[in-house]
Amino acid sequence: MTEPSPTPVASSLRDPATWKLRQPYSAWHVAALLVLMLLLIWSGRRNEVDRTIITTAQGVAYSTGLTEQSELSKGWSSFLGQALPLIFAERTDINRIEGFDAQALPPLAYITKESQRRWDVLSDAWVQEEPVQYLVVPYGYILRVTQLMLQTIEIGAWGTILALLLAAPLGMFGARSFTPNRFFYTAARAACSFSRSMPELILAMFFVLLYGFGPAAGILALGVHSFGFLGKFFADDIENADPGPQEALRCTGANRLQILRFAVLPQVAPQFLAYVQYILERNVRSATVLGIVGAGGIGMELKGRWDLADYGHVSTILLIIFITVLALEHLTQRLRRRLI
Amino acid sequence: MIQFDQVHKTFTGGVHAVKGVSLQVKRGECCVLLGTSGAGKSTLLRMVNGLTEPTSGTISVAGQVVDRRSMLSIRRQVGTVHQRFNLSPRLSVLDNVLCGALCRVGTVRSLLRLFPLALKRKACELLAQVGLDESQLDRRAADLSGGQQQRVAIARAFMSDPILILADEPVASLDPSTSRRVLDLLRTTCQHHGTTILCTLHQVDLARTFADRIVAMAHGQVIFDGTGESLTDEVEQSIYAAAAKQETKSTSEATADAVMRRPSPLEVTCD
Repeated sequence: MTEPSPTPVASSLRDPATWKLRQPYSAWHVAALLVLMLLLIWSGRRNEVDRTIITTAQGVAYSTGLTEQSELSKGWSSFLGQALPLIFAERTDINRIEGFDAQALPPLAYITKESQRRWDVLSDAWVQEEPVQYLVVPYGYILRVTQLMLQTIEIGAWGTILALLLAAPLGMFGARSFTPNRFFYTAARAACSFSRSMPELILAMFFVLLYGFGPAAGILALGVHSFGFLGKFFADDIENADPGPQEALRCTGANRLQILRFAVLPQVAPQFLAYVQYILERNVRSATVLGIVGAGGIGMELKGRWDLADYGHVSTILLIIFITVLALEHLTQRLRRRLI
Repeated sequence: MIQFDQVHKTFTGGVHAVKGVSLQVKRGECCVLLGTSGAGKSTLLRMVNGLTEPTSGTISVAGQVVDRRSMLSIRRQVGTVHQRFNLSPRLSVLDNVLCGALCRVGTVRSLLRLFPLALKRKACELLAQVGLDESQLDRRAADLSGGQQQRVAIARAFMSDPILILADEPVASLDPSTSRRVLDLLRTTCQHHGTTILCTLHQVDLARTFADRIVAMAHGQVIFDGTGESLTDEVEQSIYAAAAKQETKSTSEATADAVMRRPSPLEVTCD
């Protein structure tokens, strides 16, 4: 069978060799690029981007032996000089331990006697102090940090649970197909936007003010900050779910909650799980920082050690945080694959 | 059983889909609405269980006028079979069938999936009737073939002991031989339960085989009403002549009509 050849129409069918082709770049592109560059230069000068580049370049040059001195190397060496070795042991003055029993030491622990020199201002000379007995537990500090990390994970998990509880009804009210009326819809969407726009560090400071120092403030800050994300994601997914099964159930006379449970939830469950996993991970990471403003967890210890310039302890904490985040990512990933 | 009385439907876009249809479907009848896409047959069907509201005219099911108040009780007595099956793909076959009886179970119990044993037994019985076996109970609906999915959907429609089954193009997404088997099943199941069927189709030969009565529609109006034997080739021509006219109007619908108009030899040879 031969295709009927199209009859040439003079106006629309010109010789392909003469067809007009658009150039990939125009003067507009050049102008836009120029404006963007000027904008970046102006903003870069305001924000010390130039100094950052120069200092970094100096640092690199110093480390390769090209220059003798660098601003970066000073700060870096003062940190590294004390950051290594990592400190795993904990030393405690025995006199400060109530009811100390030398016969019942923790496993692997030992007692050392040390005397320290002190500069006496009155006599203007070094004075040898009375020797003090210390209890040294070789794994004491790492145990302490691990416990704090566990508390941090718990804060993150509770924050996620709180967010989930708040987001579940908001997800339903914020979905056009399931909201009872426009008022609920707007209110739910507004609550989600509000929650997302509040930085968790500011929220934590605020809750520390209300609930005092400790994990409660951290849990509330994380919950309030993250329910907006979950609520918005839930609502969007419910809105975009395939309407076919929903209509089928409406035809059987099922009510709204039943339709949500049997026609929508099975469809969106995998995405919901992914969101919750992401929020949990993010909350645990955020929880490590919240301690800085006194909202419990490992951040409090981190901030304290940093201010005392105990960089050996700081690096131990950072190591534990790194390992935890890595393990958590791996674990939740596997869990999700198992559940889907 | 169903009574349409001067039913009109105009959509917000200004499309006049149904123009003054009056029709009566008797108890136990297998009535097929025949016509091309855009003829208004789906709209007519959707007005029976209140998915679409008529602009004017009344529809009554078993003596009950369809309106906002009676809608829920009508939906509970009417089973629906859809073109795209509309099962929840990630739910099990059994759960999908049980979804047909959600209105019989309290909200809290159903949300926790605590269905009474009697309902589960009934679902199994219906699944056996539509030709599925025990090994398929816990499979996800998405893992079944198209024909099997439509069988599950038919079982779901019968969960509420319906007095009427509405089937909107139940075989449009199935191959010809599966179409015949599914329609055959739908008909025998309805006869077994004494249920009335109102079904839309676009294949004339399928309608001839399975319908007690054929109602042909074009441009929102009934142009033929009678048994399969009395549907002559001339009438058939006129149904699709109407579509041909439409074809020149909209190119998007034209392809669908062209596919439909072609008499398919496959449907005869496959069986």
